Amino acid sequence: MSGSASLHDATVVLDDHPVLRGASVDIGPGLTLVRGPNGAGKTTLLRALAGLVALARGSRTVSGAPLYIGHRSMLLRGLSARANLSFFASFRGMRNADITEALRRWGLAELADRPVERLSAGQRKRAALARLDVEQQPVVLLDEPFADLDRAGMHLVRDAIVSALVREQAVVVVTHSLEELDRDAAQRLLMDAGEVRKI
Amino acid sequence: MSPLGRALLVAARELFAERANPDGLAAALTFTGMLVLLESLAFGPGRARQPDVASGVYWIAVLFAAILVSARSFDRDLEDDAIDAVIALPGGRDALYAGKVLALGAILLVVAAAAGVLSIFLLDLDIALPGQLLLVVLLGVLALPPVVVLTSVIALRVRARVAVVPILSFPMLVPQLVAASQGSAAALTGDGPAALAWAGLLGAFAFVYGVLGLTIVPAAIE
Repeated sequence: MSGSASLHDATVVLDDHPVLRGASVDIGPGLTLVRGPNGAGKTTLLRALAGLVALARGSRTVSGAPLYIGHRSMLLRGLSARANLSFFASFRGMRNADITEALRRWGLAELADRPVERLSAGQRKRAALARLDVEQQPVVLLDEPFADLDRAGMHLVRDAIVSALVREQAVVVVTHSLEELDRDAAQRLLMDAGEVRKI
Repeated sequence: MSPLGRALLVAARELFAERANPDGLAAALTFTGMLVLLESLAFGPGRARQPDVASGVYWIAVLFAAILVSARSFDRDLEDDAIDAVIALPGGRDALYAGKVLALGAILLVVAAAAGVLSIFLLDLDIALPGQLLLVVLLGVLALPPVVVLTSVIALRVRARVAVVPILSFPMLVPQLVAASQGSAAALTGDGPAALAWAGLLGAFAFVYGVLGLTIVPAAIE
């Protein structure tokens, strides 16, 4: 499972304001860390890679349909964690996905059938991140995956990312955390005022 | 998975979420019920049961119900950015549109049935052609979601979405409103050919706007 994604000279304009300015990035198998100050355009870079924002200029190439998990849970309220994950797996045609095991691994075995609006922010985040185990896509885009998580949750994220790297997935992580994942990173990108450069 | 399978999956997801928190359905049922009740009071028992008046008020109520249910559905999807998770999936944009159209159609059928039964009993309506009336109601209900969901998608990231969706929808829905009202009135009075003609027009509206929505929605959703 070898994934890749790239943006070439990509510009994204939101509310008449260029949020991404001529960004060119090549993501291959391995971990890419994206850092930068608040408002630098990190989330927009991920959303551009995921195809969630229109490019005013430039082009995007991604192998397969990336798995994008934003800094919010992206789970539908009214449904349980299990129902949400079943929906995503079915949509991607993964009939044999072991959702029960994924939720158990993320510490949600007892809460799997509770509506997600009745979970804490950290539990919702865990449920969202359990998609890493259920939908193993060539390209994975994670926006602040450590936010809202306790120490044990952060270890689970790190383990899940390492497992993805073993499977040769291309993993892009936006994070403010300085110490997590640094030693596993194949590429580090710094964003500032909508521009991206390698460090 | 086929495009139809994905659309059905999104529709099922919508209906499960609505079943868990039926605020959209409850608001729509309350609104349509109140409108039928108020109609009987405002027009008086004699005028309120005239086929053209009863049909017109009924379809205005169903139209507003469609806006209410659709607004609640998109509100739910915008919470926690749940809609982005669907859009990011392969074929997600088409499935989101088609699934929401199907789910809204199913919910509106419930609302239309409840409002219809209430109208029949409260206004003591005589139905000359029940089969034709059912056909007009079915096609009239199916003609609404393609437009309402389309305008909801166009106004998805607009701050005043609650106001913008009706403003965008209503001009496009005037032909459906006229056809549904006239068709229902014709079925109530016993004019079979006219009822069938209006029903055919409603079917055409549903098809045209459904295709139009599927064509432009992938580009419209951000």
